[in-house]
Amino acid sequence: MTGALRRLVAPLSLVAAAAGLGVLAFAPGHAGATAGVATGATATASPPAALPGSLLAANATRTHSSSNLQLGQTLFQESCSSCHGTDAQGSALAPNLRGLGAATVDLWVSSGWMPLANPAAQPVVKPDRFTRAQTVAIADWVGSLAGGMAIPHPNLAGASVSEGMSVFALNCAPCHTITGAGDALSNGITAPSLHSETATMINEAVRTGPGNMPRFGPGTLSQKQVLDVVAYVRRYIQHPTSGGNDLGGIGPVAEGFIGLFVGVGLCVLAAFWIGDRTPRDLDEHAHGSDVPHGPGTTEHA
Amino acid sequence: MSTSAAGERSNPADKAYRWVDDRLAISRGGRHLLNKIFPDHWSFMLGEIALYSFIVLLLTGIFLTLYFVPSETTVIYHGAYKPIDGQRISEAYASTLNLSFAVRAGLLMRQMHHWAANIFVGSIVVHLLRVFFTGGFRKPREINWIIGANLLILAIFNGFLGYSLPDDLVSGTGIRIAFSILESVPFVGSQLAFLLFGGNFPGTAIIPRFFIIHVLILPLVILGLLGAHLGMLIRHKHTQFRQAHAREDNVVGTPLWPTFAMKTGGFFFLTTAVTVLLGALVQINPIWQYGQYYPYKVSYAVQPDWYMGFLDGALRVMPAWELHLPGHMIPNVFFPAILLPGITFTLLMLYPFIEAKLTGDVAEHHLLDRPRDRPVRTAFGVATFAFYFVLFGASATDVLANYLSLTLNFVLWAFRIMAIVVPFIVFAVTYKLCKELQQTPSAGKRQQFNLILRSADGGYTTVPAEQYPGYDQPELAPVDVEKVELTADAAQQDGDEGVYEIPRRYR
Amino acid sequence: MPDLPPHNGQVPRLNDEGRVPLDAPQFQIAAHNPRRVEVAVAAFFLLSLAGFAGFGAAYWQGASNLWLGMTLGVGFAGFGLAMASWGKWLMPRGPFEEPRAPMATTEAEKELFIADFASRGKVAIARRHALAKLMGLAGGVLGVVVAFPLIRSLGPLPGNTQYRTKWRKGSFLTTIDGRRVTVNDLEVGGVLTVFPPDDLGGAISQTLLLHVQASGNVVTMQGRETWGPNGYVAFSKVCTHAGCPVGLYEELTQQLLCPCHQSLFDIYTGAMPVFGPAPRPLPQLALYIDKSGHIRAQHGYTEPVGPGFWSRGAAPFARYRGK
Repeated sequence: MTGALRRLVAPLSLVAAAAGLGVLAFAPGHAGATAGVATGATATASPPAALPGSLLAANATRTHSSSNLQLGQTLFQESCSSCHGTDAQGSALAPNLRGLGAATVDLWVSSGWMPLANPAAQPVVKPDRFTRAQTVAIADWVGSLAGGMAIPHPNLAGASVSEGMSVFALNCAPCHTITGAGDALSNGITAPSLHSETATMINEAVRTGPGNMPRFGPGTLSQKQVLDVVAYVRRYIQHPTSGGNDLGGIGPVAEGFIGLFVGVGLCVLAAFWIGDRTPRDLDEHAHGSDVPHGPGTTEHA
Repeated sequence: MSTSAAGERSNPADKAYRWVDDRLAISRGGRHLLNKIFPDHWSFMLGEIALYSFIVLLLTGIFLTLYFVPSETTVIYHGAYKPIDGQRISEAYASTLNLSFAVRAGLLMRQMHHWAANIFVGSIVVHLLRVFFTGGFRKPREINWIIGANLLILAIFNGFLGYSLPDDLVSGTGIRIAFSILESVPFVGSQLAFLLFGGNFPGTAIIPRFFIIHVLILPLVILGLLGAHLGMLIRHKHTQFRQAHAREDNVVGTPLWPTFAMKTGGFFFLTTAVTVLLGALVQINPIWQYGQYYPYKVSYAVQPDWYMGFLDGALRVMPAWELHLPGHMIPNVFFPAILLPGITFTLLMLYPFIEAKLTGDVAEHHLLDRPRDRPVRTAFGVATFAFYFVLFGASATDVLANYLSLTLNFVLWAFRIMAIVVPFIVFAVTYKLCKELQQTPSAGKRQQFNLILRSADGGYTTVPAEQYPGYDQPELAPVDVEKVELTADAAQQDGDEGVYEIPRRYR
Repeated sequence: MPDLPPHNGQVPRLNDEGRVPLDAPQFQIAAHNPRRVEVAVAAFFLLSLAGFAGFGAAYWQGASNLWLGMTLGVGFAGFGLAMASWGKWLMPRGPFEEPRAPMATTEAEKELFIADFASRGKVAIARRHALAKLMGLAGGVLGVVVAFPLIRSLGPLPGNTQYRTKWRKGSFLTTIDGRRVTVNDLEVGGVLTVFPPDDLGGAISQTLLLHVQASGNVVTMQGRETWGPNGYVAFSKVCTHAGCPVGLYEELTQQLLCPCHQSLFDIYTGAMPVFGPAPRPLPQLALYIDKSGHIRAQHGYTEPVGPGFWSRGAAPFARYRGK
């Protein structure tokens, strides 16, 4: 019996172990699967289960030569300059990008928010139009104009998820919710879900504060704390936890609907099946001659 | 007979029964209990869902108390869940983590307990609606109605207390709001809040106090009231729908032994199965994600469990009013969180008396109404329910705004308007629907007949047939009939007597 | 027992003297094909047997929540389905009838009870008025004094704790880690939860420090010209509606949002509520920057923080101002 059960349980535990491995190893293949944007083709090509693989891959894109800057400038002129100006100096339509740094540009382009119709409204995520290398090239070119924060390359090797969760609860959960599901803020602005953001994007967003988001500089959060948060989001927020379907992580409202409509609903269905649906013996006896229709009727007659 | 009886006497079980019966005389009442008749309609089983989920709550709750430590003492967690490893958390939260991750089947029991709580309160509401819409609260059952309403209140309170025990971030925020609500109680609010919490928020003793109320005091009160509720059910005997053989002076159905016992036993296991399967498949209250509660930490999208949802929704849709009086102020939360539930539950308990006063109907009733036959009551009930359902929806304004891509402002205003408008629309629609249903041919599954009398000069009048002389049984006034087309068959049978019996089903 | 209309034998009464014969039609079962139902019930019981055994095995193996719950759930479901089917189709289907008398007792019965109670009570109590009064008095005193240990010992009374926080003149703005905040700590658009040094993590003292502009005093209101130095401004983090931490800083619109009931506060008008149920602005903490660059409080809050309470009234709040 136990042997049979073990055989039954084995595949499941394999799956669980694989999932756990994926979490711990922060496997590049997984990053590509959940994030879509991830660190590009180089990451998925790196050997699986090699922990530093993604980091190496990220480092590969880091080295930008002058030819990369050239590419970035060309792409910027083609795609961005009509609003932001040929030298990223901004225009009536869009803000000046000089001095914002490569990190800001990378976040806004790689997240799919650009091009943005209205700077004050919630950005709509659009499909990627650049490869990872192209995005980095654009960002690096803008960054090379007037400095600012470079594209970060979060190395999560020594990060503490415990410290990360603590920082997350104090600084991120108020808007993004404690499960990272995101929620609506005032005036049509939304704190987006964190379930598919890459490590680089999270790092950039914390430091640069895109749109409505506050900016967490080194005086507020140390670089270690940022890495901790990134590690917590990547390893826990973005992975299902114990106990079954999490219903989108939006808390008791979804649970209440399930409790009422599935829980109570199933019980009522069971009652409906066990009990009688119609006043039972009515149909079968009502037409029979031996059942009185009520004494009043004959008396009246 | 004599041979079989002699054979039974030598049976050890039979002997044991006789031994007990000689000392307790259970045969006398026992036979009545075995033969107690239960009507078979499915809607009479809704209250059983509440009873059985309460049993599941008791059993899983006993399991949980063996592992839960109701203490606010800070410990440093070193357990299975890595993101909390090394954090300073309360023993209450640490023990909840441990029973979720380290105790075998602990997470299942915790999730079952929470799902059973959601189902418990939900089934009480569904049961209450059945009793309300069928008029089951009328004389002589007003006391039982009040007990039921109190059970609902206690179930809601105990649910909130249990939800608060793990000391996690989401429930802690709920306790913070509860403190503010207590503070808004007229005149003694601040004192009440400080006494219950042992000081200003967050207090000193809230988890141990909530624990003992949750696991001992309220369950005892609920058990006592439940006993009274069921005792009165036996004393009054069950209500029943109008159908063949069913009268005010009898109960028609199947006996407790064996049919009903078997069916209801099966129902208990099915209810349990629902909570177990939900506990297996759907995550509820993942406190490990929420983290330890600290008064300065908060998460967005925090809501109470669904049965407190109407309160949270009322808090949200309430306009930003606050009354300043000399020496006193009426805080904003007083209106939605003290006044509204106060009025709600007072009206709920007084409803049988209010209706009796308005209709003048003070007779005993054991036959139930069909909702359509009491259009005003039905429409009032549906409208009231709609009001609370709108408030329940309003507790999710932010989540709805997020998922529907609407602005928060729009969603809030929509709920403010709906809370006022929807009940009136629902009342009108329900009333009209009831009136229409009364007229439909399929409405005929009833045995109360109307007589249509043809007078000598050829006119028709309609009078309700007297059903059982001696029993006051108010029925609806019949709809007046101008002209009745009799089938040839009916005319042939009763033609020469001048009186035609036409049940509503044929009209 | 009231007069009952004669029943026609269709609906037997089980409680009548003598038994209803077991071959009465009401003792027949509902199933048209009992054999099929028996097979189904047996199948359900077998299913539940497998489920329960599976649960035991899953527990033994320390299997996941899913396995434990699915096996146990299938076990219960099979057991319930089997029992319910058995009862529904293979047991007496009735209907049987049980008579019901009106609930109310007769007038005579009521009279008898009242007479007994009142007359004996008169003999026992009414002739000894003094004793009855003493009994009432002693019982009443007991009722009052018992309330003290039961209720009064539960906690301290509010006193003036609702009116004051731990913020004092010169309090350093301190992070939860105990670090003193300096003027260079926050980027523009940054936000930080701060406490007075002697109340780290305090529920009532918690304050939100915001860096809303690069330089210059942030003037949120007349009379608060110096409260927001160097683009910094601080508000109580306790919502004036129901007390939740107002932790959502929306930089684009310079507003604070409460996560619980979505009250929205406008920073540049002194955290005036502009949306939602909050009735009062968040109290503002007056700041100054000392010579070493630390941000400190000019004085405590000038009004009670947090939600309203009845005795708050229109009392002059100034006297509660921190020293």
